[in-house]
Amino acid sequence: MAETGQLSIRNAGKIYDPDGIHVVALQRVSLEVKANEFCVVVGPSGCGKTTLLNAIAGFDQLTDGQISMDGALLASPGKKLLPGPDRMVVFQQGALFPWKTVMWNVTCGPLKQERMAPAEAAEKGRELLARVGLHDIEDSYPEGLSGGQKRRVEIIRALMNDPKILLFDEPFRALDALTKSVVQEHLLELFDFAPKTVFFITHDLEEAIFLADRVAVMTTRPGTIKKVIAVDIPRPRDYRVLTSGRFLEIKAELGEAIHEEAKKAFEAGERELA
Amino acid sequence: MSNHVTGNDAAYKLRIARQLTVSYRVGRWFRGLWSLNLLLGVISLSTVTFLWEFAAPLGIPGLKNVPAPTTVIAAATDLLVAPQYWTGWGLSFQRIVTGFIVAQMIGIPLGLIMAMHRFSFGTIFPIIEILRPIPPVAWIPISIVFWPAREQSVIFIVFLGAFWIVLLNTIGGASQIDRKYKRAALSLGSTPRDLFWKIILPATMPSIITGMAVGMGISWEMVVAAEMIAGNTGLGYLLWQSFEIGAIAQVIVCMISIGIAGYFSSALIRTLGGFATPWRRLH
Repeated sequence: MAETGQLSIRNAGKIYDPDGIHVVALQRVSLEVKANEFCVVVGPSGCGKTTLLNAIAGFDQLTDGQISMDGALLASPGKKLLPGPDRMVVFQQGALFPWKTVMWNVTCGPLKQERMAPAEAAEKGRELLARVGLHDIEDSYPEGLSGGQKRRVEIIRALMNDPKILLFDEPFRALDALTKSVVQEHLLELFDFAPKTVFFITHDLEEAIFLADRVAVMTTRPGTIKKVIAVDIPRPRDYRVLTSGRFLEIKAELGEAIHEEAKKAFEAGERELA
Repeated sequence: MSNHVTGNDAAYKLRIARQLTVSYRVGRWFRGLWSLNLLLGVISLSTVTFLWEFAAPLGIPGLKNVPAPTTVIAAATDLLVAPQYWTGWGLSFQRIVTGFIVAQMIGIPLGLIMAMHRFSFGTIFPIIEILRPIPPVAWIPISIVFWPAREQSVIFIVFLGAFWIVLLNTIGGASQIDRKYKRAALSLGSTPRDLFWKIILPATMPSIITGMAVGMGISWEMVVAAEMIAGNTGLGYLLWQSFEIGAIAQVIVCMISIGIAGYFSSALIRTLGGFATPWRRLH
């Protein structure tokens, strides 16, 4: 199978101009994500991470530069926005449809795109849900599930579409530490089983190192890539990695880079308030 | 999350088996019925009825003109066998149903259109904002002049009572949908048509149902007022006619009847609403 899902971000820029207030969210962001690479982007709050993800997903326009995947243009100024099943997003607050059952949520993509028959989709959905430890919940509504269960269902909903790239927008932010570590391990299991290109946003350093092949640090606004650090910890990884020497070394390096930006962001915030 | 039975397996099975027996379930149902709230409700209702019954001889001014519960019950037994009473129920219900349904048929689609298209919102909303604060009762004279028959003018007043609230609730619900749902749906391959039927409509449904439940209450207020002024049949008319001939006990019977009718109409809307939004029934 040809490797697909190679993401190329070149000089991406985004200027918001609501009510005449000029805000540069992204400035000359360039990043290459290889096929089947798990790439995590970390940065202080408000640095434009979500703006970048929205541009890749086709939710929001760029004002400069371009983003392409496998040579096909995804975003550039003036290009029509086109979200699609080749780029699936797992949202920050979760976006399972509350009015539909878990099974409907999980199978709606392939059924809509007519890639699977209903029985096939249901079977595939059940199989993937079971792989992340979810049984007998297919007839439940999302509101009846715990936070950790909802996040796993949403990841499965995304995977069901066999996307070329998975986009995660701080998906585990609202979870408690214990649930978070379990869901992270499930995500890694899925990734190791069937690698895909992943673009994952977070501001949790440990999460970034635990999951990533490479971690890109973004600067505070205007957001740009400050540094890219390769995480050379072998897979499969489990929670014991978190206390290994190599993990701590990378964490120290990453921590230094991000701390500078966090401080700048904080000071900028103080200035805006003053 | 887990299917495992923790603790003593045999004891657990025994507990489950006991919970499945008829006597256990009947017992639990009976205990549920005799809850503290029911007891308190019965006590407060009987206290009020008791005070009402024996207040007249105490000489509280005004209250001596109000018939006591026993007189009301006597009047009720007479009225409940009168055909006029039951045709009154039927006609009032018919007006409620007609006015209410027309209000939903226009209000819900109009609200959805206004929430989805800025142009239609900008055009229609100013008209609504001027007409809405006018109480439906104030429309009665114009309604009588406008509509060829009294029946239509009463239904129109009922319509107005239910219309504004469902319209505003639909607009509010549909314009507050989190855009993440639309984005997720677009990523999953939705067409604009799917977006409407699978996202916008179900997401707005809870607001629509709230609007319907409140609107049903206002509809009953409006049908009574309109029948008093413009009608010559129905529960509202019967109430006013009873007052005119000085049958005050009969007035109270009509009042209680209208209360019961309103209660059952709202309960019906709540039940139907529950079926339309099964995902909210857990809470």
